[in-house]
Amino acid sequence: MAVDANATSAQGEFTVTTLKVNGSERTITASIDTPLLYVLRNELNVMGVKFGCGLAQCGACSVLLDGEEVRSCITPVAAAEGKDVTTVDGLPARWAQQKGLSPEQAADKLHPVQEAWVAEQVPQCGICQFGMMIKVTELLEKNPSPSDGDIKEALTNSGPSPHLCRCASYAAILEGAHRAARIMAGKDA
Amino acid sequence: MPRTRETATAIQATDIHGAAFSRRGFLVTGGALIVALSVKPGSAMADTANTIDPAQPASWIEIHADNTVLIRTGKCDFGQSSIYTAYRQIVAEELDMPMSAMTTVISGDTDRTPDGGGTFGLLRQASGNMRKAAAYTREAALALAAQKFGVPRAALSIRDGVISGGGKSTTYGELVAGQDFRLTIPTEGDLNSPFGLRVSGNPPLKPVADYRIVGQPVTNPSLRPKLAGETVWVGDVKLPGMVHARTIHPATLGSTLVSAGKVDAAQFPGARVVTIANLVAVVSENEWEALQAAQQVAADTKWTAWAGLPGHDKLFDHLRKAVDWTAYPVRKGRANKGDVAAAGSGKVLQASYSLPYHKHAPIGPMVSLADVKPDGSVTLHTLSQNAQHLRRMIAKMLGSSEAQVVVRTYPGPGHFGRSNGGSAGSEDEAVLLSRELGKPVRVQWMRADDMQWSSQSPAAISDIRITLDGQGRIAAYQADHRGPPMQDDRLVGALLAGLPVIDAPSAETTYGFQSGVMNVADAWVYGTIGNVAEQGHGTPQIGQKESPLAVGLRDHSMRTPVQFQQNFPREVAISEAAALAGADPLQFRLDHVDSPRFKAILNRLRDEASWVTRPSPAPGAKSRGSKVVKGQGVSIMLRDNGYWACAAHIAVTPATGEVKVERLTIVADPGVVVNPLQLRRQIQAGSLMGVSQALHEEVSFDKGAITSTDWASYPILTIGEMPEVKVVIAGDSTDGVYGQGSESANALASPAIAAAFFDATGKPARSIPLRPDHVKRMLAG
Repeated sequence: MAVDANATSAQGEFTVTTLKVNGSERTITASIDTPLLYVLRNELNVMGVKFGCGLAQCGACSVLLDGEEVRSCITPVAAAEGKDVTTVDGLPARWAQQKGLSPEQAADKLHPVQEAWVAEQVPQCGICQFGMMIKVTELLEKNPSPSDGDIKEALTNSGPSPHLCRCASYAAILEGAHRAARIMAGKDA
Repeated sequence: MPRTRETATAIQATDIHGAAFSRRGFLVTGGALIVALSVKPGSAMADTANTIDPAQPASWIEIHADNTVLIRTGKCDFGQSSIYTAYRQIVAEELDMPMSAMTTVISGDTDRTPDGGGTFGLLRQASGNMRKAAAYTREAALALAAQKFGVPRAALSIRDGVISGGGKSTTYGELVAGQDFRLTIPTEGDLNSPFGLRVSGNPPLKPVADYRIVGQPVTNPSLRPKLAGETVWVGDVKLPGMVHARTIHPATLGSTLVSAGKVDAAQFPGARVVTIANLVAVVSENEWEALQAAQQVAADTKWTAWAGLPGHDKLFDHLRKAVDWTAYPVRKGRANKGDVAAAGSGKVLQASYSLPYHKHAPIGPMVSLADVKPDGSVTLHTLSQNAQHLRRMIAKMLGSSEAQVVVRTYPGPGHFGRSNGGSAGSEDEAVLLSRELGKPVRVQWMRADDMQWSSQSPAAISDIRITLDGQGRIAAYQADHRGPPMQDDRLVGALLAGLPVIDAPSAETTYGFQSGVMNVADAWVYGTIGNVAEQGHGTPQIGQKESPLAVGLRDHSMRTPVQFQQNFPREVAISEAAALAGADPLQFRLDHVDSPRFKAILNRLRDEASWVTRPSPAPGAKSRGSKVVKGQGVSIMLRDNGYWACAAHIAVTPATGEVKVERLTIVADPGVVVNPLQLRRQIQAGSLMGVSQALHEEVSFDKGAITSTDWASYPILTIGEMPEVKVVIAGDSTDGVYGQGSESANALASPAIAAAFFDATGKPARSIPLRPDHVKRMLAG
């Protein structure tokens, strides 16, 4: 559909919105009620955020909005205006910025949560892990050495719904989160 | 592509263990690295037909002059990792090349993989293709080296890709560089059938005792790009000029279209409705508009009423009283023996067990993209466990030929067998809409579509009678298993559109997996019991014949099809029989199995699980009150040469009906362990999915429609409910047979948990899920 930035329609005005996605200013034109999920994937080609249920019941679509995990499937793009949006694609840059890494130091380097997920071979099919890694990143930024209970609590009760994994890779997720904490603390490669 | 120059001096065809081997010529290459043991078909990448020649080992395994290896398989990855780990290990092992040389895996695309068939039994059956193709290739290379060195084959050895003998050495790459060899290997089967092709013949396989790569904890190379966000998942595919579609499925599983709603053009100027018989969809270039407009149109679309289902609360009454179980032939168990009626003089356990329908419930609903060109050629982008058979079904639906259809597969949400016959949903709808619109179409099912319009793992009921002898041993075991068919691979979009599909499940059909006859599939394990009578009774799918759409509750295999439905009642009944005999349920199993491998893993389980040897129920068992009671339970399974045992430790609060699984311990002897790291992850996850089924899962439906539509109405296990999981891998490789992975672990959890419930409360749990409402009913009984 051709979108005229000045046009209006009954479903919501098409407006120009500026977002900061994974560190870059991005300008998009969309109706203000469009969920962030569709804007990221279809307008901005940011694919490290997945469609799961569209109902905020599973967590596959999670992104960080100013460091807080939100479900992009129900978050209108208007709610993200002027805020920092981080998807899994942007986790390495987020880490590099937090640690003050030079471009050379950051090259080919994943975020510790991603590194831990690789090292522990966490995923089965992997579709839920985009949201799992976002949630665990949010947790570790606030609580650098969480207990099993803290990790379970974050992934079960801290958002609109538990983060669900149908493959039930939960044991691996728990091990992955602990390893990520160790990597972030410089205790593990 | 390298060009070939036929030479007059082409060597005579040599027989390599039944494969014909010849040199066709020398390659005049422009520096290309793709020089294989056989010539690679020139149009392998063409879009319109599969020109992969399965008789050519290079179609399976391509060895390049730089000593790198490419592997092709029609199977896909659904999280098992096997095609990226086990398959590479198996090929590297047979070729005796280093793992690092196995650089590329091409999977699941109909135009560039050789074998077809379903993605299941990856290590059981399918790995045999890779293993044999690699063995033929290795033998051909050795024949070449023998000729080159002037020594007999027996004087040669291979290590890390270096072939040595007679004081000389070479590499695979050196042998094939600049050459055009053709090795034609024997295959059998039908590429596009649900079963695919098999490499036949008997090339010499490397002895298991010599394995150095199989058995190593190789990591999965597909994970890093996935986790970095670099992998293109099926939902990420974008086709130029495509439109987004949302399907508006009928109001019930038997409703036909009265009138399709109209798009409010003022609200949704870019959206339009497409109707093909009972298939209704809304499309737009903008996904959000398509989604919203579909909701608006759905509210305005009228369907006929239909009430051909019993409703989930009447399901088991229906199966017991309304179904004619004599309509389908009865199947007898292979282990049947003796005379169950005459055997035994001791106590008798007679009990009925039931399992509800389960959903595969992938985390992401199905999504497919199709591009149907004016010339009728179809390219379908999807996630399928059986792309070649999907291709056949799409061609059948369109009334065209398989050569017109290409299916490309991508990673996507795991769905545990739902597409092992080709289709999981949305593929056919994308094709039909693209044909109608003349442009590429992306169909994204929403959560409710995926819950209501996909197939499900069928419900089942079992009547079991166990007769003890005077010493408290089992004298006779009798089981009658009843249930709807296990598999319906028909394309549901084609059914809605009124277009041709494969045969519906029935007693008569022999096509694919569509037989409705129920086999006795749970491998018999209690070999010391003298009298056994197991029977399977089938029936048509619930509601299918009554549905004007011929839909109803479509069934489909999930993880351990049929076996799950028969192992649960058997194992729960064996634990109850142990109680009747006053015996410890683990020791009772030890006393009745005959396989030393079962004895080994049961003894190991007793130690690893800190099992307390005593009869059930537990001394403190209670079925009332708000005090938490605890119990232990055990289950075993034999599947695909893998021996499995599981112990569950649970806590029950009788007053609230709350069941908490505290510990799971699994001991697995899958024979040859190809990859202990990946196997451990599969067992952990598979068993936890089993806990989910035991505690939560039951498909609800009313008289017309499935009412489990989302994660609120079909809850699954959360990480907060996760028990401690202990996995012990104790593979006995003596027989040299590869066992299987996580699906056995998946089936073990439910009967062990149900047995632990009996141990904790003294009341048998003869059905799942152990949800508070069901539990309170069980405890009141």
